[in-house]
Amino acid sequence: MERLKTRNGLKRRALLAYGATLLALQPMLSMTAQAQDYPAETMNYVVAFGVGGGSDIIARTMAKVIDDKKLIPVKMLVENRPGGSGAIGYSFINAQKGNPYYLGGVGVSFFTTPLLGKMPLSHRDFTPLAAIARSPYILAVTADSDIKTIDDIKTATGLTIGTAGAVSDPALLAHLLNKELGASIKVVPFDGEGEVMAAVLGKHLDLLFGNPNEILEQVNAGTMRALAVTSAERMTSLPDVPSFSELGHDIVHTQLRGIIMPKDVPAEAVTYWEGVLKTVAESPEWRAQYVDRFNEIPLFLNSREFGEEIVATSARYEALMRELELIK
Amino acid sequence: MFESWQLLAQGLAAASQPTVLAAIMVGAIIGLFIGALPGLGPTAGVAILLPVAVSFDGTAAIAALGAVYYGAQYGGAVTAILLGIPGDASATMTVIDGHKMARNGKAGAALGLSIAASFIGGLIGLVLLTAFATTIAKAAIAFGPIEMTALMVFSLSLVSVLGGRDLNKAMISLFLGLFIGTIGLDPMVGLPRFDFGEVRLFDGIEFSIIAVGLFGLAEMYATPPSTGAHDDSGRFRFRELLPDVRSTLQCWRELGSGSLIGFFVGILPGAGATAATMISYAFAKRTSKHPERFGNGAMEGVAAPEAANNSAAYGNMIPMFALGIPGSGTTAVLMGGLLMIGLQPGPMLFQTQSEFVWTIFGSFYIGNLALVAITILLTPILASCAFVRPSYLFPAVIAIIAFGIYGINNAMFEVVLVIGFGLLGYLMMKLDYPPVPLVLGMILGPILERGIRRTLVASDGDLSVFFRSPIAIGIIVVTVVLLVSPWLVSQRTRRRAAAIAK
Repeated sequence: MERLKTRNGLKRRALLAYGATLLALQPMLSMTAQAQDYPAETMNYVVAFGVGGGSDIIARTMAKVIDDKKLIPVKMLVENRPGGSGAIGYSFINAQKGNPYYLGGVGVSFFTTPLLGKMPLSHRDFTPLAAIARSPYILAVTADSDIKTIDDIKTATGLTIGTAGAVSDPALLAHLLNKELGASIKVVPFDGEGEVMAAVLGKHLDLLFGNPNEILEQVNAGTMRALAVTSAERMTSLPDVPSFSELGHDIVHTQLRGIIMPKDVPAEAVTYWEGVLKTVAESPEWRAQYVDRFNEIPLFLNSREFGEEIVATSARYEALMRELELIK
Repeated sequence: MFESWQLLAQGLAAASQPTVLAAIMVGAIIGLFIGALPGLGPTAGVAILLPVAVSFDGTAAIAALGAVYYGAQYGGAVTAILLGIPGDASATMTVIDGHKMARNGKAGAALGLSIAASFIGGLIGLVLLTAFATTIAKAAIAFGPIEMTALMVFSLSLVSVLGGRDLNKAMISLFLGLFIGTIGLDPMVGLPRFDFGEVRLFDGIEFSIIAVGLFGLAEMYATPPSTGAHDDSGRFRFRELLPDVRSTLQCWRELGSGSLIGFFVGILPGAGATAATMISYAFAKRTSKHPERFGNGAMEGVAAPEAANNSAAYGNMIPMFALGIPGSGTTAVLMGGLLMIGLQPGPMLFQTQSEFVWTIFGSFYIGNLALVAITILLTPILASCAFVRPSYLFPAVIAIIAFGIYGINNAMFEVVLVIGFGLLGYLMMKLDYPPVPLVLGMILGPILERGIRRTLVASDGDLSVFFRSPIAIGIIVVTVVLLVSPWLVSQRTRRRAAAIAK
């Protein structure tokens, strides 16, 4: 109602002040009016996973930065709707079709759960807004392992690698590694990153692909050695560790920390949030409280660029799942 | 080690600041209530408080979240004893004897015992955490998939101790539990199993739903509203509401063994407090001179699991503090809290954040003392629940259950499931199938499956690896002894009886 009134008011004033010739500009004017009114209600950020997990930390840190810097005139609530490997939360966001007051984050399940065919949705049913950080993976071994370089993996036999989840980024990377090196490392899925780390530290497994955050902590403590990173370039926090691509292996895969909205939201809302998220991504607060704290790579991708990355990532997962015969 | 105690003294002093003390009290009380609320356990409690807590000072936030965790262990026993509903998963074993005691008019004694057991278990766990955290963490990671498989085979063999009179019925119940444990996404492949086309089953069935349905609802369904065992409000005696100190002290052996078993099983990533309570209950029953008393209101049957689940909470924190590895759902959320306040749990935490870690440990000691005081004061009030007529009590309890279960995922689906499990529990009760083996299978089955499959993927299907690990061999030998010894003993007594007869 509020919005309609303003729009009519503007229309009337425009008519009075500039005469009928300006009438042609009316749709544009009303659009600016709407953009200025948005957001008028509380924003809801729906986390499709539980409290305290990676997706939750991103959501809450982002909400805090937006709140501290007063980037939006309304409140932002972070709400957890876990269950069904993300299916519950993502279905909920999807059901708010056209409503620009719902936000969500993109995790691995955003791609894999729809691909399993158990959720009648896919990445096409959401509107990408922007990506605000990038997280590479690091291939690591225990500090006293015989594996010192990527080449050692080629010659070694009977190696095992642990992955957090059967269909996940580390699993995808483990299969890529086997393909690229022509190796036959056995891939052992675990339930979480912590379990994999425990199994590697306890020498039940040889290798793992971990988040920069957890691996750096172990490297600094002298318990683990990083072999290579999956970003295109080296990481500033690990200047001595090469990237796979500089070693001549075609393994480039990073996790994008991106934000989405339901399908069919007004274009102004997308533009608005691109602006807000760009400010977040470039703010020292976000750098300090998220990017640097978790040793991720600073980044901003707008809606179009992020959308392209989503399509590419989904294709990569689809290929992996076909290879593993999870889908036909 | 002396250094540890010195650091702890400083930590205790730091934890005595008013803000931290207030945080401990708030956390402990919230934990107590959430633990007592059927359906919501420590994981939910920590998750509910986390977003609020992290906006405060870091030390106070983690002290409060820790207090929710161990407070919930105290609270879980309350509903288990008074209503026969496990307030959280690790209180399931407490139902068996604790609720029997309450029905025999000894609600106060049972509650008092559970408080004492919680405190002693907590204290032993804490002392071990304080003194040996880093050393123990290194030993804990010696448990890989192979060792975990052996431990689970051992734990499942406990069905022979926990199964009740009819072994066939116990086995059927166990296999039903094992089946329920397979519902959800396949851990090794990622494809859904037995999901009946329902995405809400992807993550499996939450244990608290099964525990609340099978124990709590089933018993309420089976109790006729007009009569019932609780209907003796005329013979209200205040003494029965008070804890019984002397008989608590008589359970010292179970308190000790429960605490130690709880702590060591709690350390192992992925095993958890519930498994610890089962093992300690079985151990207490097996080593008891009067095993027949177990299941009929034995004090030892309350002491062992309650000591174990509190001790396990601290064992559980060791991999998190010392290695940066969350060993359970609750510690995973707690670790999220550490990350949010800007700390990185991992091998460096003790060095880089020494003051923080010891303040938190200090707060645990204070919190446990506070909980004993709070719960003892509440005991007479709580215990009087046992004298409320079922026709007043049950509707209220069912409403609370519905509320708690709905709270797990904010969905009605879980509420419908819990009613279903209530009916299953009712049928099992009427047909004399014991529910404990089902719980055993449902909790341990998934761990066993993961252990076996991970081992076999890594070894290329070679089974002999199970016999190359000294730890695994040790556990398997103990299992065989446990299974064969009752048979040998009965053979010997029969032979002796035969000899006497001659």
